Amino acid sequence: MRRDLLTTAVIWAVVTALSALATYLWLDPFPTHGAEEAKVVDDAFLTLTYMATPVFGLVVAALVYSVLRFGAPGEPAEDGPPILGGVGVPVAWLAITSALAVTVIIHPGLTGLFELRADQHADMEVNVTGFRWAWTMEYAESGVVVNSPGDELVLPEGRRIKFNVTAIEGDVLHSFWVPAFRTKIDAVPGQVHEMYVTTEGTSTPGDISYRVQCTELCGLFHSGMVMDVVVLEASEFDTWLASKNTSAARVK
Amino acid sequence: MRILRAPIVVGLVFALIGFAIGTGVTGLIRVALLDRDFWSTELSWSTGYPVALLGWLAGVGGWQHWGREWIGLDARPFTLTGWKRYFGFSPDHKVIGIQYIVTFAALFLLSGLIAMLIRIELASDGLQLFDNDTYNRAMSLHGITMIAVAVAIVIGGFGNFVVPLMIGAQDMAFPRLNALSYWLVPPVAVMLVIATLSPQLGGWDSGWTAYPPLSLLNASGQVLFNLAVITFGLVSILGGINFLTTIIYLRAPGMTWGRLPIFVWGVFTASLLSFFFTQAFAASLLMVLLDRVALTSFFRASEGGSAILYEHFFWFYSHPAVYIMVLPGFAIALEVLTHFSRKPLFAYRWAVAGLLGIVGLSGVVWAHHMFTSGMADYLHAPFLVLTELISIPTGIIFLAALGTIWAGKLWLRTPMLFGLSVIFNFLIGGLTGIYLADVPTDLLLHDTYFVVAHFHYTIVGGEIFALFAGLYFWFPKITGRQFNEQLGKIHFWLMFLGFQLTFIPMFFVGIQGMNRRVADYPSEFAETNLLITAGALMMSSSFLFFVWNMASSWIRGPRAADNPWQASTLEWQVPSPPPEHNFPRPPVVVGHPYPYGIAGAKHVETPASTAGAPAGGGGGGA
Repeated sequence: MRRDLLTTAVIWAVVTALSALATYLWLDPFPTHGAEEAKVVDDAFLTLTYMATPVFGLVVAALVYSVLRFGAPGEPAEDGPPILGGVGVPVAWLAITSALAVTVIIHPGLTGLFELRADQHADMEVNVTGFRWAWTMEYAESGVVVNSPGDELVLPEGRRIKFNVTAIEGDVLHSFWVPAFRTKIDAVPGQVHEMYVTTEGTSTPGDISYRVQCTELCGLFHSGMVMDVVVLEASEFDTWLASKNTSAARVK
Repeated sequence: MRILRAPIVVGLVFALIGFAIGTGVTGLIRVALLDRDFWSTELSWSTGYPVALLGWLAGVGGWQHWGREWIGLDARPFTLTGWKRYFGFSPDHKVIGIQYIVTFAALFLLSGLIAMLIRIELASDGLQLFDNDTYNRAMSLHGITMIAVAVAIVIGGFGNFVVPLMIGAQDMAFPRLNALSYWLVPPVAVMLVIATLSPQLGGWDSGWTAYPPLSLLNASGQVLFNLAVITFGLVSILGGINFLTTIIYLRAPGMTWGRLPIFVWGVFTASLLSFFFTQAFAASLLMVLLDRVALTSFFRASEGGSAILYEHFFWFYSHPAVYIMVLPGFAIALEVLTHFSRKPLFAYRWAVAGLLGIVGLSGVVWAHHMFTSGMADYLHAPFLVLTELISIPTGIIFLAALGTIWAGKLWLRTPMLFGLSVIFNFLIGGLTGIYLADVPTDLLLHDTYFVVAHFHYTIVGGEIFALFAGLYFWFPKITGRQFNEQLGKIHFWLMFLGFQLTFIPMFFVGIQGMNRRVADYPSEFAETNLLITAGALMMSSSFLFFVWNMASSWIRGPRAADNPWQASTLEWQVPSPPPEHNFPRPPVVVGHPYPYGIAGAKHVETPASTAGAPAGGGGGGA
């Protein structure tokens, strides 16, 4: 029995170490990092993964060892030892799992939540309106409008942007998501929802992480309700916006 | 023409008459008083269907065996015998259990077939098999049929067949209500099929979640979906009431709460949930229906309604619904692990407390599905905290499972392999759930394939694998015959490996930015999706072995012993298959349900050696 426990502990340590190592070396499945918020989200993801490795390791070690050591294809001739559980092991288990749960709640849960919510100021605002099955984006300060399909959502690098997200009256739910920015928020008819993003780095053409993707089932062309996103250097953005402004003025 | 007197035929005729009455009255009122057309698709279905449903229930046996009593006549006796019992109104919990298992296994295979079509469509980018509309409809149909299977097959199937036997009862507390609950199921399936196939109705494309305003604006098939799923809610509520009453009142002498087999606890806790929460779902779908046909405005923002209100209602049921599916799954797994390790269930009372703890928390975690819905920000922190707490009682279930197999005499037969796999699958399902309860990571992962992978790991991994553990475990008891072990093992390994190959890559493609419920995706995700489709085909091929094994073994498998697993619980102490009233004499329970390895300990006195009063089970009543 003592040897069984010891061997399982060794397997546990090995599985945990290997999972943690694999996480460290290879686990980078994230979309392109395009906003400060991405760091909060990705760090939280990795923290949870590291915290999960010993739990995963323990269950896998106990499961695999039990099957290999105690398993047999034939009908057992006798009963196993009547281990009823007692009080000590369940209490210890409860204490440890509770401590883990509380840890996860505090960090990365609540800490990440408050970090994402802390800063409610914005350098610029974009009014986002979804309707079946396209997007209209209005730059609040200048009144410039871009539409999908056809146009791109152009944004400046290194600015804090507030998206005011809604859907047209009488339309259905949509959800505004740019994978490079991580966060998403539903577009609901009759309501305006706020989402803050601080862009970081410029985009490369063809990077699918830089796309507005509707993520709330909205009917027929839900999967095609996309719009490319371009993040430019702040000065290039200003030039682009100015050119849009003059062309808009010319139309008027 | 005796076929014309068959219950299903009479039921169908009565249903058509009922439909004609319902739509007829509505149509006449419209023509005579309102000067409108006789037929109005959504309104006519909404008034025709409830009357048709009553006609169906009356015709299929409800009137002959029950309703006649209400006007002072004698109810007709139940005369069907042999295979015909399965196609009629039978109060026998064992017949009803088999009716549930076979019906929902058929729905499971059908819905699995739709899943394969979906996977073939998604094997590469672009559209090949479906167009956008048919894709959305196929996805919606797969969703709701699998939800129905997951809610009903274990509780309705094994709950009915096994629970009365396990607690030493003759039948369920309300046998005729039990039959009625089952016969509510075929109309649900028929309505969903009509909605999908009829070009006039046009299916419905709002998923199984049916969020308004989409569900207020889409094709008329949505109305049939709502009517069908409200009916299904009724099945769940009536079943819940029946199980709660049965388990509370019909336990055999000596079957104290501390001596209940863990599966009975699983059904009891799940029944608490379906009893308390299902009406929220039924009510929300009724409100959608009224918004469509009666022009109310529960969910229309332009008239003061709120679409987010629906999400609260919906998830208030639909998160506990996950536990309606999974708790009996956990319980089957623990049941099988105990018998096939030949050890008492480790920390039995703690495991029961774990199940009850999940019930307690499940009602206060729903809004973690809504972190990106735009609901008030101050709700995020409390729902994050409460949702993460649910890992504590779930952890106790893992302790019970691991403690049970530890140092046991593990007999690695097919049921045991499925039981063991539940531990591994739900480990992944549970750990990935933590990411979705955590607001920062959920902002990225919500509505992506990460979620799809996660809930398949919990529901398929935690419940459907347990379902198969139960199917193989109780097959000899139910049919009196033994299944083919080799075919069972092939089924297990193909399904287990195919399952991992399907859903592990989904986590990654989800994190990378592939959102769910899409007919098409950026070509960057094509390679991973091809791998997923290969895994799905592998998994689905396992069911060929399963179906062949079940069918051929049931017809001509070797006769099974009464207790081929040498298991301790009561259902194994009666013949296989069990006789009509289960126990010739009432069993007397004298100890723990799993007395393996404890010298002199017994769960039950041999029924033959006891004499006395009638069994704890009641055959009477409604």
